[in-house]
Amino acid sequence: MTLAAPLFTDEAAEARRRLVRGSALRTLGRRRLRGRIATALCALALVLALAPLAALLGYTAYRGLGSLSVAFFVHTATPPGIPGGGIADAIVGTLVIVALAVLAAVPLGLAVALLLVDRPGRVAGVIRFAADVLTGIPSIALGIFAYAVVVRPMGGFSGLAGSVALAVLMVPIVIRADEEAMAAVPTDLREAGLALGAPRSRVLRSVVLRGAVPGLVTGNLLALARAVGETAPVLFVIGVGAFGSRVGWNPLHPLAAMPVDIYENGTAAFPAQQAGAWGTALVLLLFVLLLSVTARIVAARLNRKAR
Amino acid sequence: MAGVREALDRRRGRPGGRLAGAVRWVGAGLFVAVVLALVWSLLAGAEPAFARDGLRFLWGGSLDRTGTAYGAGPFVVGTLLTTAVALLLAVPVGIGTAAMLSELAPRWLAGPLSILVDLIAAVPSIVVGLFGLLVLSPLFGRDVGPFLKELPLLGRLFGGTLEGGSSVLLAGVILAVMILPTMVALTRTAFAGVARADREAALALGATRWQVVRGAVIPGARSGIRAAFTLSVGRAVGEAIAVALVIGNRPAVPHSLLAPGATLGSYVVTQFSEAAQGLPRARIVGLVVVLLVLTALVNGAGALLLRKRTTAGGTP
Repeated sequence: MTLAAPLFTDEAAEARRRLVRGSALRTLGRRRLRGRIATALCALALVLALAPLAALLGYTAYRGLGSLSVAFFVHTATPPGIPGGGIADAIVGTLVIVALAVLAAVPLGLAVALLLVDRPGRVAGVIRFAADVLTGIPSIALGIFAYAVVVRPMGGFSGLAGSVALAVLMVPIVIRADEEAMAAVPTDLREAGLALGAPRSRVLRSVVLRGAVPGLVTGNLLALARAVGETAPVLFVIGVGAFGSRVGWNPLHPLAAMPVDIYENGTAAFPAQQAGAWGTALVLLLFVLLLSVTARIVAARLNRKAR
Repeated sequence: MAGVREALDRRRGRPGGRLAGAVRWVGAGLFVAVVLALVWSLLAGAEPAFARDGLRFLWGGSLDRTGTAYGAGPFVVGTLLTTAVALLLAVPVGIGTAAMLSELAPRWLAGPLSILVDLIAAVPSIVVGLFGLLVLSPLFGRDVGPFLKELPLLGRLFGGTLEGGSSVLLAGVILAVMILPTMVALTRTAFAGVARADREAALALGATRWQVVRGAVIPGARSGIRAAFTLSVGRAVGEAIAVALVIGNRPAVPHSLLAPGATLGSYVVTQFSEAAQGLPRARIVGLVVVLLVLTALVNGAGALLLRKRTTAGGTP
């Protein structure tokens, strides 16, 4: 093996180094140029990704602001062709429907998440699988489900049916978020609690649950934001007829909701109704963005504190 | 010692703790029951359709006397077409955006911009659909459609007579916007999982910043990107409302990308309330079942990819 020896001499190493450096330098200009082109393309992709958001927000604000007024919030819709009218019924309906859904989904999701955190094992596996399945189900299916299990037995449309659909939509999101929030509580703290002689249930309540509060708030707010804007689950089940409906608070009766309002007025032929749809869209958009920005701020606070 | 034992026993026996435990089990039981009830109610609702047409329902597509399509065929085609258009647009843009935000842009810029990209996910689909219906659809019918028809070679995809802006193409564009945040977020997660050593090795070889991305980061994140792709497909397949507003809802296989069509979800949105009780409604529920099977296949594949990635430790 005469070849192996010179490989370790300084001259050979130097020669190789020179070769690599030389070719690197020779191609550097080309490589830099290529990198610059690729970076420009990526920047273009970023612009393309953000352009729809800007267009959407800008245009909704532009069209929606025109229909916003005090009357828009306190009146109900007028028949087509008659000016004025508002979405008080839709706002109240959305609040009632979503509030009921939250009342069902948040505790249920928390209970299931507690079980997942406390008792990992085969049961947890089954539940997690069910949650994954439910997350993947298109929201339109939840509307059909609520129609079958609430509207048909009750003999009519109701806000409650919408709440059931939205609750089923929210539960898997809440479970996932709650579980992640509680898993983020350091094991040391948990073990310290156990070492103090506290029973598991006490540690779960006073250490895990309390430590996870900001994460719980964030996750549940995001689930709420998701439910507020959903149309497909409530479209078939809460009752229809955007105009002429009174402001209703009773979830056992048909209720209006903002997303359904947008759907009906947006597909209507009258320009006045379309203008109303933009107004409703702006209100809904602001509401949803407010919720999700609040959630993010809570999450950011949490991260800063953790650091 | 005896005191501690006693205290423990007392605590364990406290009704509060036991009750809380019971509530959890009841909650979990209720949750699993709801999922089972959901699946069962859809299957039961669709049963008459499958009982009459059997598996032919999956691909059949002709019209019966009442003008209601009895098979899922045209809708499956519509769903796959819109999803394909959406992916064609969202995957390159999504990967480019993720590369920009995670690797190429300075941090002070990437932080706020990634919040904005996340914000797209928060926009309700009805608002996206409204924008598509009232703004983009006229624009497509007037300007974009005629322009695409004139393109050499590609123009063939957009053949046939132009019938307004509501089309498979517009639905795909709308879907692309809606799946983009998913694509970007999951791709960024995949990028973050690439080992620092891999990047440094590339840098040590004299790679430029882009070469690091191209040679180390993207290959290292390949399985994660694949999972991002699959989960985006799942979202695109299941979206109903926004598509219903812009696709035109014609229950036939579209002859061109600029022709109206219908997806499983969009047809259900527009027809469920109209369909009469009995067989017509069962057929609509049948479309939901087909949609469910489709999303289950896609999401199952996505979950499998994600799991493989986590057990493999992020290296391909």
